[in-house]
Amino acid sequence: MSLLARLARRVAQQPSAEALVHGAQRLSYGDLWLAIGAVSTHLRALRLPRGARIGLLLENSPCYVACYYGVHAVGGVVVPLNPAARAAELAGHLNHCSASALIVPAGHTELNALHAAAPAVQVLEAEALCSGGARVAFTEPVPEAPACIIYTSGTTGRPKGVTLSHRNLDINTRSILAYLPLSSADCLVNVLPFHYAYGNSVLHTHLIAGARLVLDRSMVYPSGVLQAMAAEHATGFSGVPSTFAMLLARADPAAHDLRSLRYLTQAGGGMSTDLAQRVRQAFPAAKLFIMYGQTEASARLAYLPPEQLDDKAGAVGIAVPGVELKIHDEHGREVAPGVSGEIWARGENIMLGYWNDPDATRQVLAHGWLKTGDLAHRDHDGYIYIDGRRSEMIKCGAHRISPQEVEEVIAQLDGVDDVACTGIPDELLGEVVKAVIVQRAGGSLSAKAVQRHCRERLPPYKVPRAVAFVEALPRTASGKVQRYLLRDSDHTKGERDVSKGTEYASR
Amino acid sequence: MSVEPRIRQFLLNNYLFTDDDAALGNDDSLLQKGVVDSTGMMELIAFLEEQFAIRIADEEMVPDNLDSVNNIVAFLARKQPANDAQAGA
Repeated sequence: MSLLARLARRVAQQPSAEALVHGAQRLSYGDLWLAIGAVSTHLRALRLPRGARIGLLLENSPCYVACYYGVHAVGGVVVPLNPAARAAELAGHLNHCSASALIVPAGHTELNALHAAAPAVQVLEAEALCSGGARVAFTEPVPEAPACIIYTSGTTGRPKGVTLSHRNLDINTRSILAYLPLSSADCLVNVLPFHYAYGNSVLHTHLIAGARLVLDRSMVYPSGVLQAMAAEHATGFSGVPSTFAMLLARADPAAHDLRSLRYLTQAGGGMSTDLAQRVRQAFPAAKLFIMYGQTEASARLAYLPPEQLDDKAGAVGIAVPGVELKIHDEHGREVAPGVSGEIWARGENIMLGYWNDPDATRQVLAHGWLKTGDLAHRDHDGYIYIDGRRSEMIKCGAHRISPQEVEEVIAQLDGVDDVACTGIPDELLGEVVKAVIVQRAGGSLSAKAVQRHCRERLPPYKVPRAVAFVEALPRTASGKVQRYLLRDSDHTKGERDVSKGTEYASR
Repeated sequence: MSVEPRIRQFLLNNYLFTDDDAALGNDDSLLQKGVVDSTGMMELIAFLEEQFAIRIADEEMVPDNLDSVNNIVAFLARKQPANDAQAGA
């Protein structure tokens, strides 16, 4: 059954129960269903072919949710995009999946640039689509048909569009609900962006369970998030490690009445056992679910049952229901407990593949298994501990940044001979981007000029927080940049201008 | 330098990486315009606390106090009515 059909069932069961709260706006399940009907009626009038890709460039809002399900109601494929991304990146994704249409808020600042870069894409104003209300008429989609394409890497050269089927989304949503039972009595204050896999799964699990989602814009005002949790009698909260770090650094849970809080979930990168401990102390009434997953797995692959937090500190736990996890050596053989290898995953939540990229798909999908690129070992009870990641992706807060994408932007600058980017540790965000640049002889680039150039072309979190100038990049004999060496101070000798996040003068 | 240009300079330098004064209006919403994100806000708070020798309480971190140059200037004036604008400079 599709998520839309499950939602329809929920609407019939509890039409007047609240589904979404956004500022002063409060939508019941019945209201949400009417909004989905409005979107699908408007979309149907465009006579888009079944399977048409439709971009969704919206902040978390009731309109986002109505459009997501509204696209499914007309047999379309949702392509959620990052509202902070600039036109070049957005056009790269829209063109890559040959999108027919893009849903944007009226007056979006990148619209003109987008129109020039992706002229084939029909632009639809979100407010108009969501206006009115209508009965939802839909044909149940083929389970194997694509439902959603989530771009995980923004390289302009080669975007990777994780293509998830209706079955993938439905199976993973139900796996999560099997270990994290939610009901119509639950209410979650959400700060996670819906356009990423984690936020996407939080959205579906809560709506399918009939819970209430309170949409908070972000962690910019941490105390406001706690206030919303208290005012709405929230029972749940989900975050990446930096969400919890910010909450504890700049807000005081003890100052708010959070007695109703019963579950916290964490995913999106390893959380230190120290931070996990502090979160448990700050929210003593809530169970903390440590989870692990990948966009390629719809979202979730493993979870640590909360009662195991002390015995299995540091573990990401065991496979979620319906998923098999194995740890393999480089020859594809399963390794013994205690031995590190790559996590392979199998289950009906594993993506169809990368959109229109059979080569990249073949590299990670084989014989029904997903090679995650994550290195881990098991203990004798089968609990999994992450040891590292083979991927070069920089994990900054909730974001994943491809170093190549930032390098491509910096390489456009006059005076740059060579550039490589890597992640460096950051107390709050996990990692931030560091750029290491070789200047052309006689060049006079400053760190600030590099950052400004990036800021004009990239969302803020992709702008390098540290910029170093060196004589040459460390490379292997075959010429490949050794990114891990970029973090070492040895290779940033001869820096002319280094700016660190902790220095106000040069962010 | 008085309070307003110091705030502006900090925001322009550290979030927009520019000296172009026109890049930021005093009433522009820092959040809506994408000038600061959640970590940017943490840094802004640290900057204000250090430069103006004040302590910002968790519950004072609200848009009314911090979401634009004008809001910040007014907030600082409320926080340090007795001090002169050069405090902490």
